[in-house]
Amino acid sequence: MLQNKYTVFLSFLLCCLLMGLVFSQSAVSASPDPTDQFRPFLKKVIDTLADPELKTIPKKEQGQRIITIVREHFDFREMSKRVLGMQWRNLNNKEQKEFEDLFTQLLQYAYIGKIDEYAGQQVAFVKQRIKGERAEVQTLLVDKEKSVPVSYIMLLRGDQWMAYDVIVEGVSLIRNYMEQFSEILRKDGYSGLVQQLKDKISQIEKEKMNA
Amino acid sequence: MNRKFFHHFSLGLVLSLTLVVLAVCDVAGAEDFLNDESYEDQATSGVSDPIEPFNRAVFTFNDKAFIWVLNPVATGYSKVLPSDIRGCIGNFFYNLGEPVRSVNCLLQGRFQDSGRAISRFIINTIGGVFGLADAASETFEIARVRATFGQTFSVWGIGDGFYLVVPLLGSSTLRDFSGDVVETLATTSYYPWNDDIVTSATVFGIQDVNYISLHLGVYEDIKTMSFDPYVAFRNAYFQSRNKSSDQMIISSPTLDIN
Repeated sequence: MLQNKYTVFLSFLLCCLLMGLVFSQSAVSASPDPTDQFRPFLKKVIDTLADPELKTIPKKEQGQRIITIVREHFDFREMSKRVLGMQWRNLNNKEQKEFEDLFTQLLQYAYIGKIDEYAGQQVAFVKQRIKGERAEVQTLLVDKEKSVPVSYIMLLRGDQWMAYDVIVEGVSLIRNYMEQFSEILRKDGYSGLVQQLKDKISQIEKEKMNA
Repeated sequence: MNRKFFHHFSLGLVLSLTLVVLAVCDVAGAEDFLNDESYEDQATSGVSDPIEPFNRAVFTFNDKAFIWVLNPVATGYSKVLPSDIRGCIGNFFYNLGEPVRSVNCLLQGRFQDSGRAISRFIINTIGGVFGLADAASETFEIARVRATFGQTFSVWGIGDGFYLVVPLLGSSTLRDFSGDVVETLATTSYYPWNDDIVTSATVFGIQDVNYISLHLGVYEDIKTMSFDPYVAFRNAYFQSRNKSSDQMIISSPTLDIN
């Protein structure tokens, strides 16, 4: 009796295992591996941040250099689209482009602040999840005294995985801005939002570029 | 015959209980970022904030307290003590909270996590010298468990109430703040220095300053990058509270570092 139970259980396990193998195999062959693409990409970003030569050039160019690399695997249009939610569809092409440029610039400034702070942190890859055309790559930003979980949410474009959201300690960057933007849109409309973005950018410009 | 009936009955009971717990957990569960709905519909965190004017006033007060008192103190403190010692102090206080975390897991029906929290406490108290080192994460790869009374209340079906900014403590909800009060009482009941209020307050102060010293600059960063810091912090509070256990992995040294 006991023997029988074991056989049933074992064959069930074996079935599960085989199914798992088949499914994971098909997933792998269908699309490129997100971690395989992000490992060299994030290494490149970190190497650039760590490059002592970077700090010798003007602040504005530093940001430009970083953002050029970041663009390889970040889709800023998708980010802009998501951060506005339903509102995105109400904008015409020109407005969409204008918003995309401003939002990209804001995020670029977030990176400039990080250049001076960079002190040898490393990226460790934890795991990844793939769901159709979407994937999440979970990493840890490892520092001396603490490590911060950072996840990249991405979309498959052709054969490239492009990130459209960053989740730091469980907080999505896009969803955080989304709530702030929707309040501004509700109160002051699209033109108000553009004005606030411009103000913020020049404020950061003043604070960080002269520092 | 009778025994068989009892066996089936208890199995059924356990199964249905598990299902109920899981169903409740699922409601309280996290958003899946790979799902488009998590972006599309809820721009707002979907939590009521009826006392927003009051909250904003407290937020401003906390902001000033942080900038003028806590941050300078923590900065000075970080210059006196090296970061690894501050890390140890952080570990020490975290370790003291493990028994309460374990009880919370039990109350939420997370039996495995409850065992993990208590094993961490035993390992770190003995192997980590009173919890100064986190040997459980580093050597035994037992990840930290997140469990609060606020969570327990939520599993029991108690709603958030509303968003609340507590003076000096920051973002919370009515439910979570009540949970924190219970938790503080429970934790301090076995603290070695629970004799008088001044000592306890000092200990909490140290705990706070130590925490800030390990996260210097984070607050200012979020503030400069946001358009409405009040909304940014409210949103971040609800997002990080709802994160799934999947996103709570704590480092272990076996990870490959590139």
